[in-house]
Amino acid sequence: MNAPLSAQLLRKEDQRLITGTGQFSADAQAVGLLHAYVIRSPHAHARIVHMDLSAVRSAAGVHQVLTAQDMQDAGFADLPNVAQVKGPQGQPQTVCTMPVLARDKVLYVGQPVAWVVADTALQAQDAAELAQIDYDTLDAVVTYADATAPGAVQLHPQAPGNTSVKFEAGDRAAVDAAFAQAHFVSDIAVDSQRLVGSPMEPRAVWAWHDEAKGVTHVHTPTQGVGGMAGFLAHITCWSPESMEVHTHDVGGSFGLRATAYSEHPLVMLSTRLLKRPVRWVGSRSEIFVSDWHGRALLLHGHIALDAQGHILAMRFENQVDVGAYNAYFSTHIGARNLSITMGGAYHVPALHMSAHIYFTNTVPVSAYRGAGRPDIAYAIDRLIDHAAQQHGLDGVAIRRKNFIAPQAFPYTTANQTVYDSGHFEAVMDHAIGMSEPQGLAQRRAAALQRGCLLGRGLAYYLEASGPGGAAKDQVRGSFDAQGVLTLRALTGASGQGHETSFAQIVQNEIGLSASAVRYLAGEPEKGLVGNSTGGSRTLYGAGSAIKNLCQQFMDQAKPAIAVLWGCDPADIGHAKGEWQELIGAKRRLRFADWIASLGAQAAQVQAVGEAASGATFPNGCHIAEVEINIATGVAEVSHYWAVDDVGQVISPEQVLGQVHGGVVQGMGQAFGEHVIYDRETGQLLTGSYMDYPMPRAGGLLRHFHHETHAVHTDLNLLGAKGVGESGCSGSLPALANAVTDALRQVGAPPMDMPFTPAKLWAAIQAAPRRP
Amino acid sequence: MKLNLTLNGTPRSADVPERTLLADLLRDTFGMTGTHVGCDTTQCGCCTVHVDGQAVKSCTMLAMQADGCTVTTIEGLGANGLHPVQQAFSQCHGLQCGFCTPGMVMASVDLLRRNPTPTPDEIAEGLSGNLCRCTGYVNIIRAVQQASQVMQGEAP
Amino acid sequence: MLLEAGKDLGISPGQVSAASPRFASPVAFRVDCRLRRKPGVLEDFPVYAFKYQRAESVGAASAALSADDSAKVLSGGMTLLPSMKHRLTAPSALIDVARLPEMTGVRQEGDHWWVGAATKHQDVAAHPGLQKAMPGLTTLAGLIGDPQVRARGTLGGSLANNDPSADYPSAALALQAQIITDRRTIEADDFFLGMFATALHSDEVITGVRFRTPQRCAYAKFKHPASGYAMAGVFVAQYAAAGAANGGWRVAVTGVANGVFRWHEAEQALAQGAQPPAMQRDDVIDDVHAPAAYRTHLALQMLAQARQSLS
Repeated sequence: MNAPLSAQLLRKEDQRLITGTGQFSADAQAVGLLHAYVIRSPHAHARIVHMDLSAVRSAAGVHQVLTAQDMQDAGFADLPNVAQVKGPQGQPQTVCTMPVLARDKVLYVGQPVAWVVADTALQAQDAAELAQIDYDTLDAVVTYADATAPGAVQLHPQAPGNTSVKFEAGDRAAVDAAFAQAHFVSDIAVDSQRLVGSPMEPRAVWAWHDEAKGVTHVHTPTQGVGGMAGFLAHITCWSPESMEVHTHDVGGSFGLRATAYSEHPLVMLSTRLLKRPVRWVGSRSEIFVSDWHGRALLLHGHIALDAQGHILAMRFENQVDVGAYNAYFSTHIGARNLSITMGGAYHVPALHMSAHIYFTNTVPVSAYRGAGRPDIAYAIDRLIDHAAQQHGLDGVAIRRKNFIAPQAFPYTTANQTVYDSGHFEAVMDHAIGMSEPQGLAQRRAAALQRGCLLGRGLAYYLEASGPGGAAKDQVRGSFDAQGVLTLRALTGASGQGHETSFAQIVQNEIGLSASAVRYLAGEPEKGLVGNSTGGSRTLYGAGSAIKNLCQQFMDQAKPAIAVLWGCDPADIGHAKGEWQELIGAKRRLRFADWIASLGAQAAQVQAVGEAASGATFPNGCHIAEVEINIATGVAEVSHYWAVDDVGQVISPEQVLGQVHGGVVQGMGQAFGEHVIYDRETGQLLTGSYMDYPMPRAGGLLRHFHHETHAVHTDLNLLGAKGVGESGCSGSLPALANAVTDALRQVGAPPMDMPFTPAKLWAAIQAAPRRP
Repeated sequence: MKLNLTLNGTPRSADVPERTLLADLLRDTFGMTGTHVGCDTTQCGCCTVHVDGQAVKSCTMLAMQADGCTVTTIEGLGANGLHPVQQAFSQCHGLQCGFCTPGMVMASVDLLRRNPTPTPDEIAEGLSGNLCRCTGYVNIIRAVQQASQVMQGEAP
Repeated sequence: MLLEAGKDLGISPGQVSAASPRFASPVAFRVDCRLRRKPGVLEDFPVYAFKYQRAESVGAASAALSADDSAKVLSGGMTLLPSMKHRLTAPSALIDVARLPEMTGVRQEGDHWWVGAATKHQDVAAHPGLQKAMPGLTTLAGLIGDPQVRARGTLGGSLANNDPSADYPSAALALQAQIITDRRTIEADDFFLGMFATALHSDEVITGVRFRTPQRCAYAKFKHPASGYAMAGVFVAQYAAAGAANGGWRVAVTGVANGVFRWHEAEQALAQGAQPPAMQRDDVIDDVHAPAAYRTHLALQMLAQARQSLS
């Protein structure tokens, strides 16, 4: 039991996490810490007529109460919207940003209205109840039909029809022409329903102001301290030098930690005004109405095929519900992410999409694991299966016939996306080969014996990993006198195991033991450029910079080795962390040994590695078999096979872990998760885990088999593609195609997710055939 | 109100308001922040600790209810190095972000106490009070199986 | 109904959601309450602090409740504490009965088994005598919540709360339970008065429950995929026929309607060896998780499953 820990642990970060000595933001103690509470709107849509907070201010323990007026006095801006697009005739997007605290109106249940700071969290919450806020309630709209209906109540006066923008991409004329001469045409609308991401650590932030240095320190889970600092600077309008963001352990993110929420600038202002540290920690019920929601997309896909089954065109009409405000990434999702890979893995000569980006009285939507790419992958592969079904074609044959061929790469899609590499047919055949297709009839029969309909679904997904907003990723590396390499960068982890993967890269490149490598991304790094974690790009983004860093170390060392050996640098080669004399005595020296020999001088060995790594295109084939109990409607995933092309694999266990996590999140969306608002009142009906079914242990208990099929990409130094979000992209269409196949056996039509027991049972009951 | 308990083998006492939850007592009064609060409807299990040898959700106990009890948190589990369950979680990659991990480990230890050789279905049922958003649970179940084998003296 | 100001309904958050979509989220429920208050009443808004005392005896617990009509009994706390955390109920005092030896344990008493009101679900589930005498009861106890909840939650707490989706009320009804309090014995058929309402007086303490040993019994439950409560739970028990119209069968259903109920049509069908008819009730829960038709179907399914477990 007392053996060296490093020998027994898979990841470096495990040591603190399995012993409860991790540092999550709510764990920090600070002398004189004050606690904040947010007063939130109870209404989906209302005018704030009158606010009397005097009783709150004079309640026990209360130090401060802030409202929108204080935001104005402080000169704070609204929470930003990251991407803006134009309509097809150049019409500007109507961007309606979210205020830190509501001004004259509230637009969704949970919207922050006022802020209370007190000695204890309970005192702040107690005091908040004394607020007297008079609301004049208005009609609420929470569906597309209601929000865009003529005469519907308007959330924002400047956005008629509750429309932010109608965006188009692709070539409408070419698509129309293709459809006109198509032999087979098919269409299907699929709902990628609104979800909560629900990382297990509730959002938290605390801040303290260093008067002497004029710097406000903000401690909060992020996906990258630099990215968060940028958003905070935008909102507060304070100089970037006057704030520092610190991130410690992060309990999951899935896209939701990349951005500042109202509580971030509020703790910053409070701490400066009160001259004491201030902390806010969300309760899960609050998180349900305040973490940005995910997905909330309706995708209506159309496909045109010629008589031989070649795809001539695809067209999508998408409804993008961004919630009450344009917050952060919703436009990026609805415009860019739904269009850049809208042809999927297929050669599609003509592509067009229109996206109606609209407002509803709901929590604003931003990025959640995949951010539109699982959704479009879902729509594409549902569309292909649907077309195959409708026209008596074979879905696998259609895919095979239309895959982009390996020799066509780099491949430019009809809407100008450049794909890096892929062996789609080989990957699909790899998956099919693994998936025991010959036993299907027997498995169906056996399932029926047990009172279950067994459906099988195959999906081929392709998605784009994040291009990265920063010009490049940089990683600074320096050695200490003990030969330990410390890496510093801006891309933070929230479970992806960066500390371990990056140490692994160093070990692979220069042979330095992973145990002698530390990766730190929680502190602001002056002068470093880099992306936050997001879009499944960190491993190859920051990792490529690390590879470059290692190259630089080897180059730095070379002259020193030449001196040491008394030879010409040209006579030294190196491979995998070892220098070799190419002539003469053929001496060898490992990098680790050279560093060790430097002693205190090792501190002079430092460099900043960098790499510009763009989007890559992870892809793969997922095959699912789902058994639906006819008597209860309960669906179980009985088999799941997946082959993913994630390029070069650095850490096989962590890749598999990401796939497990992504697939189970996909199962959650497929079989039960759904954020439901009451259509009349706009109240949230699924406001806690009592009503929002999170996947629990046992869902993927049965046969699950995953393999990777690496196809190198030239778009980064590691040849790796992302994997973090691929599990969602593959699982949604595979599971949906499987359920559709099961329902088809009794003649029941396709249905939208979530495939709850109640819905499946009702569909089977109403179906025209018995199994 | 005063209370006394044995925390991770050490007698401790505190004087806290009655409405203090056991989770708050552990985290705020005793600084044992390994026990996490992940929800407010007693469902996520991140707050799981052992009270008198049983796994319970510390967010749904008053500190006063633990007066006179023996409490073990994640910090007290590996008192002599790592518990086999802790080791297995790491070796089987049964954790990613680590937020659910203390509660998951405490629940797993209790599960193995009650059922030393559980089937995968029994493990899933035994962990039905614990949520994880990162791992998909596949490796968590493997970890508990491995811990079970180690604790039964078998090779993992 | 849920918004009667000042009335402490002790509603758990999940039940607000399940029972009444209009007030699904605790936030909405609480604030709607506040808005209904007349101006000037806010100063009287309850403070959430409370006194905590461990009862020395049943009598002492009862006396403490009589002395303070905002005091509540605390047993396992698995429904009371979440409700308090969401500020749906704010007792002035909690009287902790969990450690009273006279309220804990399991023992046979002739053709009944007595279970103490403070007995934990896991202890009921694991009791060998109960497993043999009434396996439906031990199965039920083992299906409540999750392992951690079962280590704390108690029989008395569940019955006193009478959540329409809780499991124990169905066992009490089906097994002809006698609910023994500090002052009387109440027959199960008279105990459950509708959603969250029982025949208990506000200062009355359940000390134990006597379940009548059946010839055989079983419980089948379809768990709500989110909350883990019963979306439909059916308890079936068979006693000697003794000329009764229902042939000695008792069938109790929970999770389906606004309170646990005896399913008389199913009892008669069992007595006649016939197929039970579809359930006809106008108070079947219909919500975003399951329409009424699905719930009544599940009741039939769970009845069939329970019947199958009987042999």
